[in-house]
Amino acid sequence: MPFAFVDTLTENFDEFLRGFGTTVELVVVSFVIAMSVGTLIAAFRVAPSPWLQRIGGLYVEAFRNVPLLVLIFIAYPGLRRAGVEISAFVAGVLSLGLYTAAYVAEAIRSGVFSVSKGQIEASLSLGFTYPQTMRRIILPQAFRTVISPLGSLIIAMIKNSAILGGSILALNDLLKTGRVIASRTFEVIPAFLWAAAGYLILTGLATLAIRRLETRYAVKR
Amino acid sequence: MTFAAFEWLWEGNNLRFILEGFLINLQIAVVAIVISLIVGLGLALARLSANRIASVAAGVWVDVFRNLPLLLLILFLFLWIPQSARNTWEELMPGWMPEAWQSGLMLAGLSGLVLYNSAVLAEIMRAGILSLPRGQREAAQALGLTYRQAMRHVILPQGLRRMVPATVSQLITLTKDTTLVSIIAIVEVMRRARTVTATSGNPFTGGGVEAPILEVFLFVGLLFIIVNYSLSRLSRRLEIREKKRSGSKPDVKVRGLEEQVA
Repeated sequence: MPFAFVDTLTENFDEFLRGFGTTVELVVVSFVIAMSVGTLIAAFRVAPSPWLQRIGGLYVEAFRNVPLLVLIFIAYPGLRRAGVEISAFVAGVLSLGLYTAAYVAEAIRSGVFSVSKGQIEASLSLGFTYPQTMRRIILPQAFRTVISPLGSLIIAMIKNSAILGGSILALNDLLKTGRVIASRTFEVIPAFLWAAAGYLILTGLATLAIRRLETRYAVKR
Repeated sequence: MTFAAFEWLWEGNNLRFILEGFLINLQIAVVAIVISLIVGLGLALARLSANRIASVAAGVWVDVFRNLPLLLLILFLFLWIPQSARNTWEELMPGWMPEAWQSGLMLAGLSGLVLYNSAVLAEIMRAGILSLPRGQREAAQALGLTYRQAMRHVILPQGLRRMVPATVSQLITLTKDTTLVSIIAIVEVMRRARTVTATSGNPFTGGGVEAPILEVFLFVGLLFIIVNYSLSRLSRRLEIREKKRSGSKPDVKVRGLEEQVA
């Protein structure tokens, strides 16, 4: 009887593995989108132009306060109905990526602001140019402060990626695989348990990696 | 996209239909946060207790449920909670409750939300309590208060006040997460919006103006933005007030709490 649990995994191992791979793929692609768009929006928010600042602020408030599921409905059936040929995968990673980008922007912005103004002044008075100051003084320090919030964003992304598989997008990620196996074999508890184990492996690995980065780049001020 | 694209809002009772659905989401969020606060406090106290077994058990529980996708929990409970429990729920719910609450499915949706959010809130509370200077507890002890008295009269009132802004942030996340219960067929704003897109402008269901999916969900998104933006302003204001009150470092530092997405 206790082996029934293991059987569910061994008999459907390839399927679970594929689902696991899809989840990793979704998270990685969305993370790339979130980082690029998020950095851009953060740059907008600290830009000297008030218009750019306003656009950045509007982006953050809109995407941060809207449910991911609503974004998915806008991006997939919404756009398709409006005549845009978008695939479920693209709609999914765009929704998750743009959603998380709002949080990334906030994390980066607070990281840049955490470096005190005196450092910029000191660096400029020592004869560094502005780009040199950014590259050698500000960004290395900002990076250190940003590691931990970005880390929790990755963990949140891993968890949120399940919404892509569970929603109308029906991407074959880990959660979807667990559901399919549960309804095919009627082994509801083992199927969900193994899917849950997959997510815990991912969030656990991410937590460990972030902790290592944090100690390695610990802020010494 | 022009204003004409939003004409469906004034068609029949579409607007009211969607707003009432949104109200259900807000109700779910409020009920879930209240229960989660109570359960979360229990978990936080267990984790901080001197009893090793209780502390480790609560720690594992919190770490597991905090790190699992909420949707996985909801879908699992949807399949796992027996029909008899759903029936009991349906019998216990009084008839004047909104239709969505009378459905036995709500039991699975609400349990999932509470399971996840109580774990997150337990972690916030633990951080709030631990952020108090040690001297507070030592002083309480020196004054002869028992552990229980110290908790009730000294530690909790201060620690919990520090976590108010973080709790409001969690409420924002929770409000967004209530849309997930639509996946197990609880009829709230998402389901109602889909009904509108399917029926409005459909000659078989009465005709009228067509409601394009894109615009309908843009409108639903706007509802969430209005409520959650107000909540985030409130959280901000509470944080500033707390900073003024305590004078010193009141930041409840839970790892990446402010940036939490869920």
